[in-house]
Amino acid sequence: MDNLKENTPELSKIKKENPFRVPENYFDDFSARLQMKIEAEKKVVPGPKRRIIQLLKPAISLAASFALIFLLVYWPLKSFLPGKFAESNTIEIESYDNENQYLTLLEGIDENSFYALIDEPSATVEFSDDELINYINTNMSEYDIYLGTDN
Amino acid sequence: MDYDDSGIIADLKQDTKKDLAFHMLVNKYQERLYWHIRKIVMNHDDADDVLQNTFVKVWKSIDKFREESSLYTWLYRIATNESISFLNANKKRSFMPLNDVSEYLVKNLESDPYFEGDEIQLKLQEAIVRLPEKQRIVFNMKYFDEMKYEDMSKILDTSVGALKASYFHAAKKIEDFLKNTD
Repeated sequence: MDNLKENTPELSKIKKENPFRVPENYFDDFSARLQMKIEAEKKVVPGPKRRIIQLLKPAISLAASFALIFLLVYWPLKSFLPGKFAESNTIEIESYDNENQYLTLLEGIDENSFYALIDEPSATVEFSDDELINYINTNMSEYDIYLGTDN
Repeated sequence: MDYDDSGIIADLKQDTKKDLAFHMLVNKYQERLYWHIRKIVMNHDDADDVLQNTFVKVWKSIDKFREESSLYTWLYRIATNESISFLNANKKRSFMPLNDVSEYLVKNLESDPYFEGDEIQLKLQEAIVRLPEKQRIVFNMKYFDEMKYEDMSKILDTSVGALKASYFHAAKKIEDFLKNTD
């Protein structure tokens, strides 16, 4: 300690006293003020509603962040690139139209014609001898023809 | 009424006597804790807030007090932690650089109507607030409160050797500041 005094002559010159003061009667009143604060603290007990909000807070924050990002990205894109958005909307409308046309066509066929089409016996196809010979020459070998005539 | 610490602790743990025992505890320690806090935060209004927070914390956590340390040590430890937390919260609020709270404290000191020191006292306080936080606390506890290193060691959870070194460095820095500033 003496060594410290030798090393700090300027500090040693300063009279060691408390330069701080407190308002009058501060310590007399402190206990009463503290009691009021503690009573207030006792009343503030977090209810279950508040706890649920506390639990949901991260999820709500995340959802809000996504909504904010969507708004920040979607709206500027929609505003600055209106052509691109119009194109994609047109494609959707076109595909929707094709589907609609097909359904309208189906609805247009009456039930009787539909069943008549299913029940119709296979049409008889007539062809000439030359057409038959040409078909055999193209699609069958001599061996196949021999086997066919043998039976 | 003379109430020793063990009597206060025993009564604090009984619901019927808790309020009275707490009142005794506050009356016994409010002044000592106030001056300890005031030297860390400098300003009276801030010290008042921190002192109230300290006692509220004591009230809430008295059931967790395991008596491994003395009541006096436990209270000082809470007061020190509350003071540091208060300064850190202020640092965050005002976007101050980390570990640089000195400007805030100098302003706090200059604007405090309850500082009645003369010019040399103000200069000494300015030198103290420019110390790193731990050195500042150690210097105040040793220089003004003349606390034993052993007691400080329990409160600050630091070895006696480290505390002595902190005090020595702090005193040296203060001496340099006093010599080199007009």
